[in-house]
Amino acid sequence: MGEESIYEHLTKQGVSRRDFLTYCGVIAGGLGLNHLAPVGASGLPARLAEVPTPDLTAMVSRALQTKPRLPVIWLEFQDCAGCTEALTRSQSPTLVDLVLNKISIDYHETLFAAAGFQAEQNRDAVMEQYNGQYVLVVEGSIPVADGGIYCTVGGRTAVDIVEQAAAGAAAIIATGNCAAYGGIPKAKPNPTGAKGLTEIITDKPVVNIPGCPAIPESFTGTLAHFLIFGELPELDDLGRPKAFYGTTIHDRCLRRPFYEAGKFAKSFDDEGARHGWCLYKLGCKGPTTYNACATIKWDGGLSFPIQSGHPCLGCSQPDFWDGGGFYQGQSAPLDRPGVTMVGTAAVVGAAAGAGFAVANRSAKKRLETIEVAPGEESS
Amino acid sequence: MTWTDTLEFLRGPLFRIAFLVFIAGLAYRLIRVVTLGWPKDKVLSAGSKAKGVATTYVKAIGIFPFIPWVKKTFNGNAVTFLAGGMFHVGLISVILLGTAHMLAWKSLLGFGWPTLSLPIIDWLAAATIAAMVALLVNRLTHPVVRKLSGPAEFLNWTLVFLPMVTGYMMTHHMFFRYETLFSLHMLTVDVMLIWIPFSRLSHFVFYFFSRTIHGAQFGKRAVTP
Repeated sequence: MGEESIYEHLTKQGVSRRDFLTYCGVIAGGLGLNHLAPVGASGLPARLAEVPTPDLTAMVSRALQTKPRLPVIWLEFQDCAGCTEALTRSQSPTLVDLVLNKISIDYHETLFAAAGFQAEQNRDAVMEQYNGQYVLVVEGSIPVADGGIYCTVGGRTAVDIVEQAAAGAAAIIATGNCAAYGGIPKAKPNPTGAKGLTEIITDKPVVNIPGCPAIPESFTGTLAHFLIFGELPELDDLGRPKAFYGTTIHDRCLRRPFYEAGKFAKSFDDEGARHGWCLYKLGCKGPTTYNACATIKWDGGLSFPIQSGHPCLGCSQPDFWDGGGFYQGQSAPLDRPGVTMVGTAAVVGAAAGAGFAVANRSAKKRLETIEVAPGEESS
Repeated sequence: MTWTDTLEFLRGPLFRIAFLVFIAGLAYRLIRVVTLGWPKDKVLSAGSKAKGVATTYVKAIGIFPFIPWVKKTFNGNAVTFLAGGMFHVGLISVILLGTAHMLAWKSLLGFGWPTLSLPIIDWLAAATIAAMVALLVNRLTHPVVRKLSGPAEFLNWTLVFLPMVTGYMMTHHMFFRYETLFSLHMLTVDVMLIWIPFSRLSHFVFYFFSRTIHGAQFGKRAVTP
């Protein structure tokens, strides 16, 4: 530990200069820095776009050679460790490998060997030593119902732990839909009162990397961005980095031409499914889901759900779990009124109609009796 | 509140309310219309009312749309017939045969049906929008139609035009993000659903009532109708 630079740290780990430069290139590529247009569009600092002949790999390399390594504290609350799994199982050697194994993680409940009070002490020590410098990563939602008792670590509630950790953090990242928006624990009826991190930490910017799980490259790319530029990437209105959540799955989908041509798979093993046609009718949420699945993909760019034949669930969107059935068309209303409710509405309407009709009829009759008064001839 | 939340509200609670108002309102109107009663025959009729009804539907749906020039509607104001016809054909096709719309019906009814491909629906939607613009211009410029048009007519036009335009923009991802366009589309649809029963837009139901009554009257052969 101490103030050694990332490069020095990596050299100690046995990383050669050649490998180091490769990593730098990977990071620059992962962040979309190898073209200037996206740099400008993503709202990165203007000075980057002004570099006359920018060698972005060199820029990343300079940053990594001079900057001290970035400590990361990773807290898990109401989660499944799926985001951690996704990170640790991504291809190696990659950007993920670099960030996860060689640069950072100082405290991670799933990954570290320590346990019990020693682990707690370790966390507190890191927080104290790097106060104001560390990156806080939160995985999992935070329950607030009944005083937050539904998720405790070492006798302390999740809210308590995260508030303390956030106070000394230089940057905060919520990874996965649970940490970002509450995810599955927040699904109706949300018995634990689960909340996303932004609802708990309101005085500091939180970067959301939603997904179920979050795409490892999106997470590490965001971390690398902070590492290199010392600031958080530009975010969209849901707190997600625009570099990774700028377009919908639908916009970049390899099945999109079939959507335009009106060719849809209607079941999971029909002719359309075998031909790789659009999954919209099978409930694909691609048109409203912002994520990089269709471009970065998974398993080192091997595939992603739609490519392998399953509609997008919309897992990078808030409350995706309650956003209508997974296999129900996107255009369908979120909840259909039941037969009883529709029947009641019809009966209420009909009763009102009948009431008016009876009233009108009796009024008409009264009118007629007045008109046909005794002694007068009927018309 | 983000557009995602807005969309959730418009696709969820507001749609539910709009749909229930639509049902209740139509039931109300239906009862009101039915309780108006059937005109009593005061004298014996030599004709057949059923035959009259059948004839009027055959003429209105099966014959005159294909030889419109024999009718005064067409000769007096061809735009009403041509643009009106295009509008109705396009609207019904888009609502029933568009994939996204069929899926909405499927979620409400429990069964679906085959749909037309997007490019075809797309052209139909564009033609429908163009027809609506033509109808509006006609309404504003034709002296007779202008005189027949009050605020309600223009409101009806607007409340049908908005879902059409927002739907078209949505399929083409025009100007705004998809959720924004989806929200605008759902909002306009919800408002239209609420408005339908209490306006002449309800003619999609009551057209059949008036045509049946008129057909029956035409079928009579008597001294006084």
